[in-house]
Amino acid sequence: MPVQTTITAASAAPASAKPKRPIEILRERHGGMSKELKDYFNEQQKIYKALRAALASGPRTVPQLARECSLPSPVVMWHLMALRRYGEVLDGPEQNGYLLYTLKGA
Amino acid sequence: MADIRDRYDALVIGGGIAGMQAALDLGEQGFEVLLVERTPSIGGVMVGLNKVFPTLDCSSCICTPRMAESAHHPRIRLQTYTEVRRVDAVGTGFRVELDCKPRYLDEEACIGCDECELACPIEVPHEFDDGLGARRAIYIPHGNAIPQKAVLDVEHCIFCGKCERVCPTNCLDFTAQSRTVHVDVGAVIVATGFDILPMGAKPEYGGRLPNVMSPMAMERIQSSNGPYGRVLRPADGKIPRSIAYIQCAGSRDRSIGVPYCSRVCCMYALKQALLLRHYIHDVDVTLYYMDIRAFGKGYEQFYRRAVAEGVKVVKGKVARVTEAENFDLLLRVELLDEGGRVDEHRYDLVVLSQGLIPAWHADGIIDIEEDADGFVHTPEIKLNPSFTTMPGVFVGGVAAGPKDIPDAIVEAGEAAMAAANYLKRFRWRSRTPAAAVAV
Ligand SMILES: Cc1cc2nc3c(=O)[nH]c(=O)nc-3n(C[C@H](O)[C@H](O)[C@H](O)COP(=O)(O)OP(=O)(O)OC[C@H]3O[C@@H](n4cnc5c(N)ncnc54)[C@H](O)[C@@H]3O)c2cc1C
Ligand code: SF4
Ligand code: SF4
Ligand code: SF4
Repeated sequence: MPVQTTITAASAAPASAKPKRPIEILRERHGGMSKELKDYFNEQQKIYKALRAALASGPRTVPQLARECSLPSPVVMWHLMALRRYGEVLDGPEQNGYLLYTLKGA
Repeated sequence: MADIRDRYDALVIGGGIAGMQAALDLGEQGFEVLLVERTPSIGGVMVGLNKVFPTLDCSSCICTPRMAESAHHPRIRLQTYTEVRRVDAVGTGFRVELDCKPRYLDEEACIGCDECELACPIEVPHEFDDGLGARRAIYIPHGNAIPQKAVLDVEHCIFCGKCERVCPTNCLDFTAQSRTVHVDVGAVIVATGFDILPMGAKPEYGGRLPNVMSPMAMERIQSSNGPYGRVLRPADGKIPRSIAYIQCAGSRDRSIGVPYCSRVCCMYALKQALLLRHYIHDVDVTLYYMDIRAFGKGYEQFYRRAVAEGVKVVKGKVARVTEAENFDLLLRVELLDEGGRVDEHRYDLVVLSQGLIPAWHADGIIDIEEDADGFVHTPEIKLNPSFTTMPGVFVGGVAAGPKDIPDAIVEAGEAAMAAANYLKRFRWRSRTPAAAVAV
């Protein structure tokens, strides 16, 4: 399990050192962040970035975003709905049986 | 909230509609109840449903008042996010061991403001939306959750500490750990409910394809607080124009170990189909069925209403579902009213009317027997339907076998009555008379 160097340093430090921050205790107890979770998180950030960039140039449907971002459309759908849920994306009008989505404030 | 006491009159396992009803009925009769729920909120399946057959009442609107009542009742102690690890008979009563999981925050101090969730940077599939929607690693279970308190899912936490920095009440406690608690009770009610059969149980129905949905996913996308805000296909956001329901998709089938009829899937499918006709103009909705079982009060009328409002019902045995281009689905069906002629239809979406299976097994936790299908065995089904094989342990709701909400409520009430009689017979007291007066 990858443990951050700062923690290793902290645990090796003498007893008089600053006490560990609670979040570090949690991290240590759970063996740090797993590689799978790290990859998952990085991948997620990349997808959001691509979706935001595509939506910045105007409203899009899910298949349009999938084509522009070269991502499978079920992946686009899930991440777009996550952005929608947390208020970054709004529902637009219907276009040929699909909804157009817009970036809030765009 | 005061900490858990070491003695209660009754333990209710499971905070779904059945468990809440049993707890309320006991509480109203003056008994002290410990209601244990393993997820972070009470409400069970019902609080996630869209509307209920046959009245089409909004499900969460009629469920949340019960949830609030259970949470605020002076004689009910609610313990969420807790598992029952062991129940042992001691005399006429029981010694209970609980595993209280940490939310990583001070539940008392959390005001449910959601600031932590808004700050958290990672998103994961939300169980409440059957995975179709997102939540964050720290989250409030859902808008109708009780208690309205956040919970940190440490499996998905990236340990950034942002939630702690934004929390206005400083209530996060990253050093929290799970806690083992022992409690003595005089009677136990099992109300652990059900799960839906896994989607891949019958591979020929394509349960793993993105546009083949579980009935719970359909409940969620039909709900106004659902993951898409309206009915769309999970694969590409298309507004579906044609939807097929496969009945008995995971019931009445020995090959998958579910030989019984799940009793509610004909009705929930008709309900969802009728509502789809309301939500999407002129949508084609077809139910492929073997029998329609509309057994309850007002159910036959509901069936006729659904058909009158344009839901198609076709007697047919679906052989398989495969994916065509653009995520559309090809459904191959043997039409039983046409001498078994085999037909193929293309649909935008397919819903599998999956059967109900037990959510929990007593094995190793409490010495009650189960039926061959895994539901709690009720040896006196005719005259004492809530009795289990262990005196003092009763069962209510779907834990004893598939049933709808009205039947779950009636049965839970019966379990509460049986538990009350048991407590009275053995004069169980959770408080000394002096302590009871002092409160
Ligand atoms: C898609 C769908 C639609 C439906 N629509 C309708 C409808 O319209 N009308 C209708 O009448 N019925 C409907 N039903 C049926 C209805 O959902 C059930 O009758 C009802 O939810 C049963 O309630 P319950 O309390 O027995 O179980 P549940 O709702 O499953 O509650 C059980 C609770 O126990 C908890 N639990 C489980 N194990 C443990 C444990 N070990 N420790 C602590 N807690 C535990 C669970 O987390 C859960 O909260 C529908 C069912 C489905 C699947
Ligand atoms: S920010 Fe703090 S008070 Fe608000 S919901 Fe989260 S944990 Fe609770
Ligand atoms: S510490 Fe964990 S739960 Fe808190 S904001 Fe960061 S990832 Fe989310
Ligand atoms: S309720 Fe209907 S769909 Fe469900 S198992 Fe029984 S007959 Fe089949």
